[in-house]
Amino acid sequence: MMQLIVNISILFSITTLVGIACFLRYSTTKFFDLSQASTISLAAYFTYAFNIGLRLPLLIAIMMGILCSTAIAIGAELIVYRHMRRKEFPPFASLIASLGLYTVVQNSISLFFGDDAKTLRSADVEVGHMIAGAYITNSQIATLVVSLTTFLAVLLILQRSTLGKRIRAISDNRQLSDIYGINSSSLILVAIGMAALLAGIAGILISLDVDMSPTFGFNYYLGGVIAMIISGAGNYRGLIIGSALLTTAQHLAAFFMDTKWMAAVAFFILILFLIWRPRGVGGQRLKKVEV
Amino acid sequence: MDYFLHVAVLICFYTLLAQSLDLVAGKTGMVSLAHAGFYGIGAYTTALLTVLFGTSFWFSLPLSVIVAGVFASVVVAFAWRTVDDYFIMCTLGAQIIIYSLMNNWIKFTQGPIGISGIAKLKFPFWMPKSSLSFVLISIALVLLIWTLLRNLSRSGFGKTLMAISEDEVYAQSIGKSVYSSKVVAFTLSAMIAAIHGALFARYMGLVDPSSFTINDSIFILSIVIIGGMGNLMGSFLASVFMITVPELLRFLGLPQNLAANMRQIVFGAILIGVMMRGGKGITEFFRSNSRALR
Repeated sequence: MMQLIVNISILFSITTLVGIACFLRYSTTKFFDLSQASTISLAAYFTYAFNIGLRLPLLIAIMMGILCSTAIAIGAELIVYRHMRRKEFPPFASLIASLGLYTVVQNSISLFFGDDAKTLRSADVEVGHMIAGAYITNSQIATLVVSLTTFLAVLLILQRSTLGKRIRAISDNRQLSDIYGINSSSLILVAIGMAALLAGIAGILISLDVDMSPTFGFNYYLGGVIAMIISGAGNYRGLIIGSALLTTAQHLAAFFMDTKWMAAVAFFILILFLIWRPRGVGGQRLKKVEV
Repeated sequence: MDYFLHVAVLICFYTLLAQSLDLVAGKTGMVSLAHAGFYGIGAYTTALLTVLFGTSFWFSLPLSVIVAGVFASVVVAFAWRTVDDYFIMCTLGAQIIIYSLMNNWIKFTQGPIGISGIAKLKFPFWMPKSSLSFVLISIALVLLIWTLLRNLSRSGFGKTLMAISEDEVYAQSIGKSVYSSKVVAFTLSAMIAAIHGALFARYMGLVDPSSFTINDSIFILSIVIIGGMGNLMGSFLASVFMITVPELLRFLGLPQNLAANMRQIVFGAILIGVMMRGGKGITEFFRSNSRALR
């Protein structure tokens, strides 16, 4: 039972982290950026390359990894998405372009690193600490601590600082904030950079705990997106509730059936919400046709 | 020779898949990422019926089509309300649930190993032994479906679908039923995909979940997009292009696994390029360029 709670809270902290990344990305540019999934994988694989390949210390490798993956995410915005936004293409066009980008990055990773499972852990099997009847490893404790502090830091930035207020302003109404002299283009870059940073941190935390393969980012990204959608894509409290609901359901499914059904359960919950609670737990209206 | 015939069969298969997806993605504006799942349902139904009960092709084909249609109508009954990117996420969900059923419901589908030993296609009077006759069957089927889809898009129903893709609220306000049109279009498209699935199972002799992943859905969607949305000829040209180019890459002497990755990278890049030009496919590209030359 304790073990279940530990497992839920670890997945919960990762999902929340990815969820904020998705939220930052979605609220500023209004489309689901599937290439964020590749940012998660990329950060982990860059860290792997710097740490194992170039034999840099783990901490420096992690920083370099996050830096590189964030640079690629910002590069994609500058080259692809900014152009598409200026031409005012519909959101699904950007989504499909991001799908193309995801395919390119994911296959580049398997081209350079191969498809076999890689790991950042130094020892083969890490023996966990026994706390209140549950095993928890050092990297899992790190996951909890790091994601909690990152979450609080991002919340503080978005709610209190001028930068955060500006980002919230452009996500509410970009045209109006343009009129008030807020430079939305550079702010979107900042928001995307923050989102990529968060996704990268999440990716590295996952890879410290479990093995990674070129496609591992996709499932965690979908978890984050679903948490964001069922929370109503509106506020952070909703996001926490959505993420908690989702991960609890996933782990209950894993406990009573098997871990392999976790992805299917996540989408099942999404569909249930789309039918019965289309406004999400947070209360904001989902985008759909009203007739 | 057999190799070229195999490529020809693949081109026919993907033309069929792309044209059926075009009915929803191109005509109605419902971009779906669940198409590989639906054709997988068709393939699995035929495979299971053939292996477990030894049914003939002509009995399992309609059943496969019906099963895929039922699945598709359930999906669209839930998802029809959502538009644009939310609809894509819904169909992505459907794709992942279908794949996870194929991969994880081991008692029924035998999981990742797949179902093998499916009897090859048989006809009452004629036994297609060679690959050539299978190519002829596929071409006949493609022509049949092509004509059907072309007539459908010219009919009143096709016009309604185009109206929905242009302005859903307006289509509803002039008395067109948005709900039923969307459900019918989506179900029909999945059913056509299932025909292909049934043929695929009988052609390959085995089915396993790796043929029906999200990557395959993306591949089919990129054929439609590269060919140009709502353009049946474009879907055909794009499938010729997308199937033959990687085969050419193979002749360059790249190792098998490298070639597969390179292929995906090239397609991803093409997809980004096409979307950056506003979703104009190859046919439109050539058309505008030839106009510029004149």
